[in-house]
Amino acid sequence: MSLELVTILDKDGKAQRGKDPNLPPEELQQLYKLMCATRALDERGLALQRQGRIGFYLQSTGQEASHIGSAYALQASDWLFPAYRQPGILLLREIPYEKIIAEWFGNSGDTSKGRQMPVHYSFRQANFVSISSPIGTQLSQAAGAGMAAKARGEDTVFMTFCGDGGTSSNDFHCGLNFAAVYKAPVVFVCENNGWAISVPNDKQTASDSMAIKADAYGMPGVRVDGNDILAVYRVTKEAVERARRGDGPTLIETVTYRIASHSSSDDADRYRDKDEFEAWKKKDPIARFQRYLKHKKLWSEDFEKECVEGSRDEIAAAVKVAEALPPVGPETMFEDVYMNQTQHLKDQKKYLHDLVQQGGVGAEIGHFPL
Amino acid sequence: MALKEFKLPDIGEGIAEGEIVSWKVTAGQAVQEEDEFVEVMTDKATVTITVPFTGSIAELKCAEGDVVPVGSVIAVIDAGAAGAAAPAKEAAAPAAAAPTPAPTPAAAPAAAAPAAAAPAAFVQSSPGKVLAAPATRRRAREMGIDLATIAPSGPRGRVTNDDLTTASPAPAAAGGAAVGGHSFPPIAIPPAPEGRTETRTPFRGLRRKIADAMTRSKYTATHFTYVDDIDVTDLVKIRQEAKAAYADKGVNVTYLPFIMKAIVSAMKKYPEMNSSLDEVTNEFVVKGYYNFGIATDTDNGLIVPVIKDVDQKSVGELAAELQDLAQRTREGKVTVDDLTGGTFTITNAGNIGGLFATPVINFPEVAICGVHAIKDTPVIRDGACVPGKKMYLSVSIDHRLVDGATGAHWMNVVKDHLEKPYGMLLG
Amino acid sequence: MTATNPQAGESKTGTKVMTMLEAINDAMKVEMRNDDRVVVFGEDVGKKGGVFGTTMGLHEQFGENRCFDTPLSECGILGAGVGMALYGMRPIAEIQFLDFIYPGFDQIVSEAAKMRYRSGGEYTCPMVIRSPYGGGIRGGHYHSQSSEAYFCHTPGLKVVIPATPADAKGLLISSIRDEDPVMFLEPKAIYRHAKDEVPLGEHTVELGKARIAREGADVTVLCYGAMVPVCEKAADLAAEDGRSVEIVDLRTLVPLDERTILESVKKTGRVVVVYEAPKTGGFGGELSAIIAEKAIEYMEGPIVRVAGFDTPFPYSLEHLYMPDPKRVAAGIEKTFVW
Repeated sequence: MSLELVTILDKDGKAQRGKDPNLPPEELQQLYKLMCATRALDERGLALQRQGRIGFYLQSTGQEASHIGSAYALQASDWLFPAYRQPGILLLREIPYEKIIAEWFGNSGDTSKGRQMPVHYSFRQANFVSISSPIGTQLSQAAGAGMAAKARGEDTVFMTFCGDGGTSSNDFHCGLNFAAVYKAPVVFVCENNGWAISVPNDKQTASDSMAIKADAYGMPGVRVDGNDILAVYRVTKEAVERARRGDGPTLIETVTYRIASHSSSDDADRYRDKDEFEAWKKKDPIARFQRYLKHKKLWSEDFEKECVEGSRDEIAAAVKVAEALPPVGPETMFEDVYMNQTQHLKDQKKYLHDLVQQGGVGAEIGHFPL
Repeated sequence: MALKEFKLPDIGEGIAEGEIVSWKVTAGQAVQEEDEFVEVMTDKATVTITVPFTGSIAELKCAEGDVVPVGSVIAVIDAGAAGAAAPAKEAAAPAAAAPTPAPTPAAAPAAAAPAAAAPAAFVQSSPGKVLAAPATRRRAREMGIDLATIAPSGPRGRVTNDDLTTASPAPAAAGGAAVGGHSFPPIAIPPAPEGRTETRTPFRGLRRKIADAMTRSKYTATHFTYVDDIDVTDLVKIRQEAKAAYADKGVNVTYLPFIMKAIVSAMKKYPEMNSSLDEVTNEFVVKGYYNFGIATDTDNGLIVPVIKDVDQKSVGELAAELQDLAQRTREGKVTVDDLTGGTFTITNAGNIGGLFATPVINFPEVAICGVHAIKDTPVIRDGACVPGKKMYLSVSIDHRLVDGATGAHWMNVVKDHLEKPYGMLLG
Repeated sequence: MTATNPQAGESKTGTKVMTMLEAINDAMKVEMRNDDRVVVFGEDVGKKGGVFGTTMGLHEQFGENRCFDTPLSECGILGAGVGMALYGMRPIAEIQFLDFIYPGFDQIVSEAAKMRYRSGGEYTCPMVIRSPYGGGIRGGHYHSQSSEAYFCHTPGLKVVIPATPADAKGLLISSIRDEDPVMFLEPKAIYRHAKDEVPLGEHTVELGKARIAREGADVTVLCYGAMVPVCEKAADLAAEDGRSVEIVDLRTLVPLDERTILESVKKTGRVVVVYEAPKTGGFGGELSAIIAEKAIEYMEGPIVRVAGFDTPFPYSLEHLYMPDPKRVAAGIEKTFVW
């Protein structure tokens, strides 16, 4: 049994008859701009890493429609439990570039005070939950948060992301199982980009798809063309509304492709087929949506410039500001371990302080093979 | 000098001032903690304040009859000589409140750790608790030192290994027995009286080491001394002959080689006279090797170089070795190897004078033999009184390990061999 | 010794300069040739050859049945590994980063570690779990943890941590041949920096034996993994102050070579225990306790630990978090003056 792939846009970028969601023009243009800005941000991130100015970067190239289209279906008060490849959501939720980029530099402008590797964001102001590296942990947390909101009679919806690799994690099973049993208001978005670093889908699962796994847990599963932003938006909106009504969770599989390597530490050319890559490049979500906008007469050269170069300029300016911010002080290492700093942490802070005063401690170590 | 200001305390219930009724001390006076200090009158009561810590009064800042506010300085006390100064931040508490096993003697420069680099003040947090690293404690125990009697020079009042090597062993400590017991505070020698002089030099170095060794020996081995006089008339003749025989070899033969051989023979009959007590394993060790130390006086003091394997050397060889040793000692070329491994010691004080002595055992050996001057004296031979030559031998023996009877028998053998030297050749 | 035709044949003699990465790779190649029960699996170990390259060439050389990629599931990797071991294989399970091992912790602690004991010896689990651990690569919270303490605290497991390429190879081969489950933790910070002569062919290093990395007289430094080169630099600094430092590279944490440790500590009378893991509850505490219990009378000074701080491993402040030569040297000095 194979789930039908939901699409709206055809290969020429026209909406299939009767399927156009007819979003307002501003929203359509906003979606386009968000995708362009996200790509520009990703380009800048990798460039900075290659220049050695930041230690690590991880791109969402090719998956802009998949995560922006889905998050777009939420209200501002809805929570996000992202994985680490959904930067467009930050822009959607209007996090300033400086704040995002300060996180890359891990300096005093970073919400997390330079504690985590780049792209492991946390933005409470946007209901964007702190990201961790272990795969899938966000899935059961989303279920739990959903259970809490439901118990309190609140209509918050929780959207969480994972990749195809994430479906093999323990938390995928626990998270979906709990969410379904408790009918939690959760939307599980599995961005199936075909590769878990170097492991392809056919090594990841023997199921016909990721979406079909929803069946085992007793929730609806939807398979959608991840590079068709309108299709993604539509199916996610339905799932969000289901959740908000109290009808429980949904698993959405967006079928997309990881155009870039897994991260700045990976080189996908070593294990991926060139033909496969080229085929997917032709299905680029931004190019497809551009064609759609053109049909709708919502695109122009100036608009393109605003979206692409405009974003690049804003990002460049933000890099300048963010990079110049002061580094975090050593004392910050001992904060936020607990709410109240314990005596042993105070002692260790003093010990380090004294050593730093004497000088020489903490010569640069470490390289960036990740 | 560590001058500490004494401020008029708030004697009670928030008084603001007090009148000095009478001083119980005078400037320059040495005082002990709790001595009467000053009588002060307030509008509530008249109280006698006692001296807060031991020291001497440096200065009285106000006179009897003065009315002074609470908190003003009324006297300055000198808390003690170098090594006993309490740091400023400790000023509030009577810093040297330590009880009498005083690691901070008020004025006892002789007992101070030598050349300590301005050690931090010793403040005992709880009297009786001594700070030291575990290895230091083990060494102290092995050396029989009560840590509580040591003036610590380490940070925060810690006893260091250096402190041990310069400290006096505690009187009560016996090998392997519990350390602690009775200990006396160090005694101070008051300065020379008015108009008379004295010289004081730091008590350290070899002299100090000798002192420590002597103390330990006397307080551990229970000494008894047994004396006998030896008719050496025949020995003198033999020695003359030997001396002439070896003269062209450049070897000066003294009486010592003969005495050493006699002692070895006696030890073979009474082997416990060549023994020691192993305090770590608690074993009585009877040695099958005979290494005799010869106590030698040098410009720097007493050293005891050792002649090894006396039983295996002839009188001539011993004589040569003794001569060589004497030479090297004069030249200061005695090695560590020369000074170790002894099983018995001979001390030769006869050249200076005297009849006999009570020598101190070279601990941990079991006995020491003093050899005294040969004197012309009347002797009884075949019922007649004739001129002869006699020599005293005094042997001090550790009564824990060897009884009087054994010592006496041993001496009889030595005496016999020396009085009839040819007997030694016969075995 | 020079390598004699290192490319050819089964029995090789001589040595070759290798990085620790290459040495680990070589160990697996040697054992996979030796013993067809040996299999290697984990995330990205096949075609990609591992995210660090430790399994490079194995898939090519030995095929899909002997070296294969798994789904993204530590629990699955380790549980399946236990099953393979029970069935008579010699599985080498790779966990991509030790930080990711927790979903599989149950299989390690509840199953692998207790298998022999609970079955009266009927079932055993000769599995090797290989995983890069430790900081020094700007990996932040989740690519830098030094969590060996959890495994040292689990009876039934052996814990091995090499510090040199030759030891990495020798210890890995011994671990593969060992009949008990072994956590083989690889100090990723020195994967490429550690470079030295490595014996070719079947080179083994006995588990449970420490190595005197440097002889000294005044103070003993106990360390393992990436901290060993740090301690060597610290010893150089201390030598400038006239301190002669003896460095003991533990190599195996469980079972521990107490004898070598105590001999050294009794000789010098001073000890510094260095570990990059968070100080509290770290393995260094165990070492300190053993010394305090069995060699207290030899201690001339305090038993000092130089460790990571009790915070999650930070990204930007990594260089201050990890013990570095100056901090270790300060620890050494503390055993003399405190």
